[in-house]
Amino acid sequence: MDRALKSRLEAQLGSVIRGAVRQRGDQTEIRIAPADLPEVLRTVHESIDMRFEVLADLAGVDTGDTMQVVLHLWGERSSDWLRIIVEGLPREKPRCPSVTFLWPGAEWLEREAYDMFGIVFDGNRDLRRIFMPPDYQSFPLRKDFYLPDDASRSPGMGVRPVEKPHAPAVAEPDPAAAIRRSPAS
Amino acid sequence: MRARAATLVRSSWIQLLDRLSITERLVLLLIPPAIGGAVVTILAAALVGPAFVDFLAANLPLVRFFVAVVAILLLTVPTAFVIIYMELKVIARMNLRVGPNRIGPWGSGMSVVHGLKVLIKEDFAPTGADLPVYTLAPVVTFLASAMTLLVIPFAPGLFGQDLNIGLLFFFAMGGLTVLGLLMAGWASFNKYSLLGGLRSAAQMVSYEIPLTLSAVGIILLTGTMSLNQTVLAQSGSALDWFVFKQPLAFLIFFIAATAEANRTPFDMTEADSEIVAGFATEYSGMRFGFFFFAEYVNVFIVSALTVTLFFGGWTAPFDWPWPVSLDPIDAWAAGPAWIALGLGAAILGADVLAVVIRLFGGRAWSIPAAFGLGFLVSGAALTALLLGACFIAFDWFAGIVWFMAKAYAFVFVFVWLRATLPRVRIDQLMGFAWKWLLPAALLNLFITAAAVILLDR
Amino acid sequence: MPRRADRTRQPGPAEALPAAGPRPSLDDPRVMLDRQAGALFEEIPPYPARTEREAEFYTPTEGELFLNIGPHHPATHGVMRLVVKLSGERVVDVDPVLGYLHRGVEKICENSDYYHVIDQVDPLEYVSSLFQEWAAVLAFEKLMEVEVPQRAEYIRVLSAELLRVQSHTLYMGFLALDLGGLTPILYSFIERDEIVEMLAALTGARMLFNYFRVGGVNGDLNHEFMSRLGDWMSRAGKQAEANAALLNENEIFVRRMRGVGVLDRATALGYGVTGGNLRASGVPFDLRRVHPYSVYPQLDFNVPTRQEGDSLARYLIRVDEIRESIRIIDQCLHQMPDGPIMAPRLPRLLRPKPGRAWGAVEGPRGMLGVYAVSDGTDQPFRFRIHDPSFLNLEVVPHLLPGNLLADTMAIVASLDPVMGGIDK
Repeated sequence: MDRALKSRLEAQLGSVIRGAVRQRGDQTEIRIAPADLPEVLRTVHESIDMRFEVLADLAGVDTGDTMQVVLHLWGERSSDWLRIIVEGLPREKPRCPSVTFLWPGAEWLEREAYDMFGIVFDGNRDLRRIFMPPDYQSFPLRKDFYLPDDASRSPGMGVRPVEKPHAPAVAEPDPAAAIRRSPAS
Repeated sequence: MRARAATLVRSSWIQLLDRLSITERLVLLLIPPAIGGAVVTILAAALVGPAFVDFLAANLPLVRFFVAVVAILLLTVPTAFVIIYMELKVIARMNLRVGPNRIGPWGSGMSVVHGLKVLIKEDFAPTGADLPVYTLAPVVTFLASAMTLLVIPFAPGLFGQDLNIGLLFFFAMGGLTVLGLLMAGWASFNKYSLLGGLRSAAQMVSYEIPLTLSAVGIILLTGTMSLNQTVLAQSGSALDWFVFKQPLAFLIFFIAATAEANRTPFDMTEADSEIVAGFATEYSGMRFGFFFFAEYVNVFIVSALTVTLFFGGWTAPFDWPWPVSLDPIDAWAAGPAWIALGLGAAILGADVLAVVIRLFGGRAWSIPAAFGLGFLVSGAALTALLLGACFIAFDWFAGIVWFMAKAYAFVFVFVWLRATLPRVRIDQLMGFAWKWLLPAALLNLFITAAAVILLDR
Repeated sequence: MPRRADRTRQPGPAEALPAAGPRPSLDDPRVMLDRQAGALFEEIPPYPARTEREAEFYTPTEGELFLNIGPHHPATHGVMRLVVKLSGERVVDVDPVLGYLHRGVEKICENSDYYHVIDQVDPLEYVSSLFQEWAAVLAFEKLMEVEVPQRAEYIRVLSAELLRVQSHTLYMGFLALDLGGLTPILYSFIERDEIVEMLAALTGARMLFNYFRVGGVNGDLNHEFMSRLGDWMSRAGKQAEANAALLNENEIFVRRMRGVGVLDRATALGYGVTGGNLRASGVPFDLRRVHPYSVYPQLDFNVPTRQEGDSLARYLIRVDEIRESIRIIDQCLHQMPDGPIMAPRLPRLLRPKPGRAWGAVEGPRGMLGVYAVSDGTDQPFRFRIHDPSFLNLEVVPHLLPGNLLADTMAIVASLDPVMGGIDK
C-alpha cells in the first residue's frame, strides 16, 4: 500500500482520474477515459518520481454494460502494481488508443484484446486476429457470445445469453437481463 | 448349353480353389513353372552348356567382373542393414536407452523390418513434381555410392577391378552423389527440399576438395593411384600403415568424409529440426529407401576408403608371433567326410553338454531343451574352430576379417559422432571447409612432397 | 498427378471468404491450394491484407520466398507457425501465426468455480504447471484476503522450485535437440523423471498437479516425497553440472549460440519480455526480488544476470538458475516450520466479495500474472492470464531478420516458448 504513490497520482493526474485512487493490498487502481490514455501513460512512464517502465499486462474486460481495457504497470520507484482501468468503451464499437507508442510489445496484447472482445486500438499497426482464424466473425470472450454448431461461420451478431453450466435448456426470456454484469466494476 | 457347361466347369474350378488354403494355392500356382523351368534348364544345360562354359573360360576377366559387380550389389543391402541396426542400437545405448529389442534376437530383425517397410509403402509423387527427375534422383545417388565399391580391395585377390586410377575413380563416382541430391531437391516441388538440396550441393562440393587433396599425399607416398597397390605398400606391420606417416591427412580426410557422407555434425542437409528432411522430404516408400540405403552405403565406403588408405586395408596389424599353418592337414583329402565328421562331433558334443546341463541345471532343463542347447553350443564351438582354421589357412579369409573389422570400427566412430554432436550451421560448415581444411590439406601436401624428395636423396 | 477422384470433390468454403482480389502468386503463404497447382481448379483467393504490417510482410520483393515453418514441425515447441520470408538462406522477416492450441481457457474459467479454475489453468504451461496455479491462487487470495500459513508457503516454494529445476533441465534438452544433438534430451528426461516422480508422491500427479489451493496446498509432505527428495538432493548439484557441461563445453553448440539473436535492454523492456530472457539482456528483474511474494524475502539466493543478451547468455542464465533453485530448496528444507497447510475456516464454496485482484509469480519463463475480477458469485467474472511466453515470442520478429534459417531454431529454442501458455 503505497500512500506516496496515491498522492503523486492525485497531484499529477487528478484531473483525468475518474473517481478516487483506490488501493488494496499491493495494488493501486485508477480509472480514466479512453481519450486520456496516452497522456496518462506518458506521465506515469516518464515522470521522475513514478517511472513505471514495465508493462505487465493489457487485458480487455467486458462488464456487461460497457467494455474496459485494464493495464497493469510496474516501476522501480513504487512497491505497488499500478492498475489503469480505461472504462466506458461502448459495447457496440469499442475503441481505445493504442499503447504501442510506448511499449512495442503491446501490439500482440492489443491483438488479443481485439480478437477476444472486438476492441479496436487506434494506432496499432497490426490489428488482426491472433488466436482465432482470420475469417472468424465473432468475439469469443464477450458476454453475449454464443456457440452454435458451426462456430467458424457464425455471424455472432445475435444476442443470446451465455450458457450457464447447470441452467435449464430453455432460453431465458429477457436476453438483455441475462447478460452477466459485474456490480462493482 | 455350351455357356452353361463352361460356367459349370469354371465354377467347379473355383470351388476347388476355394477349398485350398493360401499356401496350397501358391504351391499349385508354382508347380507348373517349376516343372517347366527344370525341363528347360536341363535341356539348356545339355545342349548349350558346354559351349557356354567354353565361352566363359575364354573371357575370364569378363566373368570375374560380372561376378564382382553382382556380389557388390548384393553386398550393399546387408551392409546397410547392419549399419542401420548398429546405429539404432549404439545410439540408443549412448542415450542410456535400450534400442530395439523385440524383433529378432536383440532387435536385429529391426533392419529387415525397416527394409520391408520401405518396400510396402505407397509410392506417390507430389503434385507438381518433375516425374522423370524425381524418380531418377534416388537411383543416381544409390548408383554413385554403390559404384565406388568396385575398386576397394577387400582381401588379397578379392576386389572388383584393380584400376590403376582407382582413387580417382572413387572420388569421381563419389561426386555423382551431389547430382542425385540436387535432382531430388529440385524435382520435389517443395521449398524445404530445394533448400536441402542446395545446401547439400554446396556442402559436398566444398568438402570434396580437402578430401581429395588429403588423399594426394598418399599418392605421393605410393606413387600410384591404385588402391590395391596402396594396401600392398602398407603390408608388414601396423607401423607401416600410412596413418603414422600422414596423420594430418588422416584427420582432414576423416572430417571431410563425414561431410561427404552427410553425417552429423555436418548433416545440415537432413537437419530434421529445421527443414524436416531436407531433400528427401517428399520421398517415401522405396524411393526414400534408396536414399536411406545410399547414405548408409556411403558411410561404409568412406570407412572402407579410410581403412584402405590409412590403416592398411586388409593387412593384419601384427604378424602372429608363432608360425601357424595348416599344411600338415590336407584340407581336401577327406572330402565329404569332413561333413560327417563335423556332424558327428556336434552330436557327440551335444550329448556331453546335455549331460552337463542336466547335472547342473537340474529339473529346470527338460531333456529336449538340454539337447537343443548342447547342440547349439557344440555347433557354435565347431563353427568357431572352422572359422579359425579358415582364417589361418586362407589369406583371403583373414584379409576380409581384418578389413571388415577395421571398416566397422570406423563406422562405429561415425555412429558415435552422430549420437554425440549437435549440428554445425551451414555458413560455419562452409567456412570451416574453405578456411581451415583446405589450407591444412595444402600444407600437408607440401610437407609430404618435401619429405619425399628429401628422403629420396 | 490429377486423379479422377479429385474432380468430383466440391470446392471448399470459398464462398465464405471476401471477394477475390488480383490473381495471387503461388508463393503467397495465405493461398490455400488444396488441389493441383495452377491447373484444373480455381484457386481459393487469399485474404486481402487487413493491416499495414500484413501488407508489408506479404508482398515479397525480388528474390524473396516464403517458407512456412508450419504447425506440424519437429522443432517448434508445440504447434506454432512461423511464416518466414527468406532471401536465400537469410531471414528477411517473420510472421508468427498463433492460435493452433487456443483452448479458450479464460472463457471456461468464467464458467467454473474457483476450485475448478485451478485445474483448468494447469495445462497452460504444462511443463511447469504449479506456477500458473500459484499465480491464480495468489490472485484469489488477494481477492478474498486469505492468510496462508507459513508451512504451506514453504511447501509451495519447495515444490515450485523443484519444478523450475525440471523445467530448465528440459529446456536444455530441447535446445540441444533443436540444434541436432540427440543425447542431451534423454539425459534431461532422466533428470526430469526423478523430479516428477517426487512430485507425484507429493501431489498425486506427474504433470498437471492441481495441488495449490486458495489458502494453502492440498496435501502435506509425506515420507516417500522426503526420501526421494533427500536422494535427489544428494546428487542434484553434481548431476546438473554434468548435464550442463555436456553443452557448455561443446564447441559446436557454443559457436552456434554465441552472438546469435542479441536482444538489447531497451527492446527487451519495450516488448515486455520477462524472466531469464530479460535477465540475459542485463535487467535484473526477478519478481521474487523486486516484488516479493510468499516467503521469498526470507530466503537467500542470487539473481543471475548477464549482459550479452545472446542465445548463449539466455542458456547460461538458466543453468545458473538451476543452481540457485537447488540452494532455495535446501533452505526451504531447513527452515520448514510445522503447522497447518490450509488456511482455517475457509468456506467450501468460495464466494469472494466483488472486486479485482492481480497476482504475479516468477515462473521459469518469466512473469506469470493473473487478473481476476469477482462479481460476488462463485464463478470469476473475468479471469485473465498473462503468460510470459506470449511476449517472449513477440520479440522473434525483431530478432530473426538478418540471421540464417538455421539460427531460427537456435533463437526460438533459446527463448523457451511453451505453446500451451502462448495460445491459452
